[in-house]
Amino acid sequence: MQIVPVLIFLGIALPWLGALLVWWAGDARARLQHGLAVFFSVVSGATMLALLLIGFGGENSGGSLSFFQGTAQETSPFGAFTFAPDGLGVFLAVVATVIGSLAVIFSVDYMRGEAQLGRYYAMILFFIGSMVGLVLTTNLLLVFVFWEMTALCSYGLISFYNDDPKAVAGGMKALIMTQLGGVGLLLGAILAYGYLGTVDVNVFLERAAELPTDVLAVLAFGFLLAAAAKSAQFPFQTWLPDAMEAPTPVSALIHAATMVNAGVYLLARFYPAFAEVPYWRESVMVVGMLSALLSAVMALVATDLKRVLAYSTVSQLGYMVYAVGTGGIFASQFHLLSHSVFKALLFLAAGAVIHAVGTRDMRKMGGLGSQMPLVRTVFVIGALALAGLPVLNGFWSKELILEAGIEHGPLWIWILMLITAGLTALYTFRCVWMVFYGQPRSHLHVHPTGIAMKTAMLPLALGTLTTWLLAGPFSRLLAETMPHHEMEAEATGALLLSVISAPVTWGAMAVVGLGLAAWWQRDRLLLVSEPLADLGRFAESSFGFEAINRRITEQMICMAEDLRVLHPGLLNWNIFGIVAALVTVLLILALGA
Amino acid sequence: MTATTALYLLLGIPLFACPLVYLAGRLGVRSGGTAATARWLAIAAVLAAWVPFIVLVQNNQAQGELLAMVGSISLMVDGISLLLAGTVLTLGTLVLVFSLPYMRGDDGEEKYYALMPAMMGAMIGLACANDLFNLWVWFEVMAVSSYLLVAFYREEPGSLEAGVKYLVQSAVGSVLVLLGVALVFAHAKTLRLDEIAQVGFGPLGLAAGALFVVGFGVKTALVPLHTWLPDAHSQAPSGISAMLSGVVIEAGLVAMLRTLGAMPGNFSAWGALLLFFGGLNIVVGNLMALRQTQVKRMLAYSSLAHMGYMLVGFGVAIGFGLVDAAAGGFFHLINHALMKGLAFLSAGLLLYALHIAKGDHTPLLVSDLNGAAQRYPVTAFALSLAVLALGGLPPLAGFMSKWQIFAAGAETRNLAVILLVVFAALNSVLSLAYYAPLVNRLYRREPSEVVLAGLPGSRLMGVPLVALMIGVVVLGFWPALINGLTGPAASSLLHMFGGN
Repeated sequence: MQIVPVLIFLGIALPWLGALLVWWAGDARARLQHGLAVFFSVVSGATMLALLLIGFGGENSGGSLSFFQGTAQETSPFGAFTFAPDGLGVFLAVVATVIGSLAVIFSVDYMRGEAQLGRYYAMILFFIGSMVGLVLTTNLLLVFVFWEMTALCSYGLISFYNDDPKAVAGGMKALIMTQLGGVGLLLGAILAYGYLGTVDVNVFLERAAELPTDVLAVLAFGFLLAAAAKSAQFPFQTWLPDAMEAPTPVSALIHAATMVNAGVYLLARFYPAFAEVPYWRESVMVVGMLSALLSAVMALVATDLKRVLAYSTVSQLGYMVYAVGTGGIFASQFHLLSHSVFKALLFLAAGAVIHAVGTRDMRKMGGLGSQMPLVRTVFVIGALALAGLPVLNGFWSKELILEAGIEHGPLWIWILMLITAGLTALYTFRCVWMVFYGQPRSHLHVHPTGIAMKTAMLPLALGTLTTWLLAGPFSRLLAETMPHHEMEAEATGALLLSVISAPVTWGAMAVVGLGLAAWWQRDRLLLVSEPLADLGRFAESSFGFEAINRRITEQMICMAEDLRVLHPGLLNWNIFGIVAALVTVLLILALGA
Repeated sequence: MTATTALYLLLGIPLFACPLVYLAGRLGVRSGGTAATARWLAIAAVLAAWVPFIVLVQNNQAQGELLAMVGSISLMVDGISLLLAGTVLTLGTLVLVFSLPYMRGDDGEEKYYALMPAMMGAMIGLACANDLFNLWVWFEVMAVSSYLLVAFYREEPGSLEAGVKYLVQSAVGSVLVLLGVALVFAHAKTLRLDEIAQVGFGPLGLAAGALFVVGFGVKTALVPLHTWLPDAHSQAPSGISAMLSGVVIEAGLVAMLRTLGAMPGNFSAWGALLLFFGGLNIVVGNLMALRQTQVKRMLAYSSLAHMGYMLVGFGVAIGFGLVDAAAGGFFHLINHALMKGLAFLSAGLLLYALHIAKGDHTPLLVSDLNGAAQRYPVTAFALSLAVLALGGLPPLAGFMSKWQIFAAGAETRNLAVILLVVFAALNSVLSLAYYAPLVNRLYRREPSEVVLAGLPGSRLMGVPLVALMIGVVVLGFWPALINGLTGPAASSLLHMFGGN
């Protein structure tokens, strides 16, 4: 029996089985629920790590899991339900399951004593399985299916505290916005089927050139729309900050480390098919740049700890999207890895802080470092990686992106990305300072950090310090298993050396240093910051995008209300409707014939 | 059992059961007892009808289409007949089981159990009719039995109002159909569907077709012919709401497709007409559902939208001759019966536990659902699953059939159709704006006062819910399972419309 299909099957089925069992256990047995959730998430993490380590090339190559094969099925709109491993997919599956299990372990402390734990864990486990399915399937229909399943879990978990109107509204917003973008993916998928007669991703990548150019362009931009909505990129960036109503482990897992990366994954996976579409790469770069820049400014003025992290997630995802646009698939995926690790760490540490002090408002924090030294240490490690300081993982991957940008992208976008790097350093230091340093601004009673929380944070901190060492193997993995992407394998040493020796790196470091200096000298910068106050207020209202969302919602409700006027419930009018319809149909037919 | 005997039995059992059930129930009630005999007799009759149905399915797989004559009445069993009959039997059986506790002790219970088999038999007959006049007769039998069932709570003003509106509007539709039949007969001198198709028609054919579209369109709830539906669906007993939404309006659609298939000439005109109504139904249904405060009314408006998806499927199938589209349309028909059946039955269970069991006929409000999951976990889960499936969230069944319809829309490579598909997909997103908050309410921590005061549900009512839930989930994960029913139906449809 081949090992690869079994591992893939377990990676998806185990979390789902766990979800059922947690639900089955019932909320009266909270300890059992915690235990089951940890067990199933850890085991699924182990299976995906095993898949990565055993390898799926060489003697195991060609191993895939397939349901409903047969010609009739394969040419139907459903296709064969196939899952096949490659570098991109397995790497993301590992990220989803490993960080997923850490988030579940963290939840043991964070969610202790909460009501409806069954719903919470069941949805997290269901999410983990769906995420594995999303990245491993090679069927376009299933890509869409899993895509929506992750959106459903995200919705359910954002609205977990569903007596709180803010949580309910945040969940709805996330669901509707990602679904709107999802229509782009759906359109692309049905067009691919309509023109090629198959939903197989690999066949599509091979034969994309056969599509008429306008159809291919619709596909390319449809996928970009879906990716932007999923990854909270411009102009859909507004849902992610509102998603912060979710319990913090969920924010760490779904809204930082995994689901929001799905958009970047989609773009990277289909890049070879779309790279030649006119203006597509430029659009991708611009979307990434706008998201990175705008949300960095918003992070600079936000006062809610989790929202700052959410804005920074949008901003970092912007870097990854930008990297895909420049063709730097490896750089984008490498940054995705770094970001998943350090942002999950930041969120979990923020969760520990919020759990300890009972507020998310940074203005009420301050000086917490002395009371929770471990949390401070890991948060600072994560923050330094976010700011892009050497030698943490964020530094290497961000420099790789900037390098790819200057080589293959327009200069003006690159300069804006560089400025964003400076802003990133600035808001990161502001955040660290407001939470952990300075004078305590209010008397907060600090609860001790639980053992499960520490267990979850330490591996991530270790990862933040070391994952950059994996650059070489990771690049080889991608290059060897992704036949449609033209990538070259490079050794870790060569990659790192090229980063250190590039002038871009030194320029970027200078900008990051400027950002840092700006924070130290913030009192003297009043001259500059006064005129920027208006910009800050504009940024706080998310640059007018919230107003657009509200307007669309109001319009829909208004239309619905107007339509009710046409339903007076009077029988005469109803019969009139029938007669009018008959006349209309006759007219249409008469004119048509 | 020969196939012809099976056909007679399939049509005969429910129809003959109707008076028997009524008599047995009436005698029971008159002698001071209950209508228990009527209940079990009705269920036994419907279960018995499954046997000839299975024989016919096997026969269809082996030998294809079956033609039979009863006197001068021509009957035909093709893929479409079996698909509709199977859906009617499945939903009907489950609804009858659900009704055992729901209708227990209601005044006129024996009439309910007598009318259910009659309505089911009429729908099966409609699916097998091969001439225009008998098609119309079956259609009327179905309509008449459903009027009585809609107005079942005859002491309730709301229910009577709904019944009267339904009666008047349906009657107008029937008259139009009858006019169409007369037009066709005057010209073609025959009513056999297969023979009409051979006769050449001029503009008269278009006029007759328009009468059929609008006449059957009343039952099918094409916008703007839909105004009877929200009242009827929300006022009828919940089992009947499930039947109306799950199979009765679909039976109207099948009747429309059958007649249009016999109308010769330019099929792309009929296809375009269905696509037009499809788009209209989707948007009006969703927008109207958005602001409803009563659960059953909301579900009723969502039926309009789902009828729209089916119309898009059939419109593409007829206009462009695509098998995938027809299969998708039929798949959605089955799924809609399952999903909407599940939705109405689970809402019905809540309605029963919260209001009806206390003798109170106030409607179930959306705000009554708050926190229902704590007291009725299975029902709340069933209702959540149903509305999420209706909203088209994968991996539930509703998504798979929409996908098939949309994919077929893309196969046309026609810009207008692809834009319509995008429009339909956007409307699916819109529908989540009223489905998702419903799910949210069910899982709130603070139950509404109505939920706190609710009585326990009945286990027996849970059985059909579980069965439908399994259907909705399994078909979502394994859509190919239904190919055996949708495939033959799709090829029958294309055959009717001049394909091969």
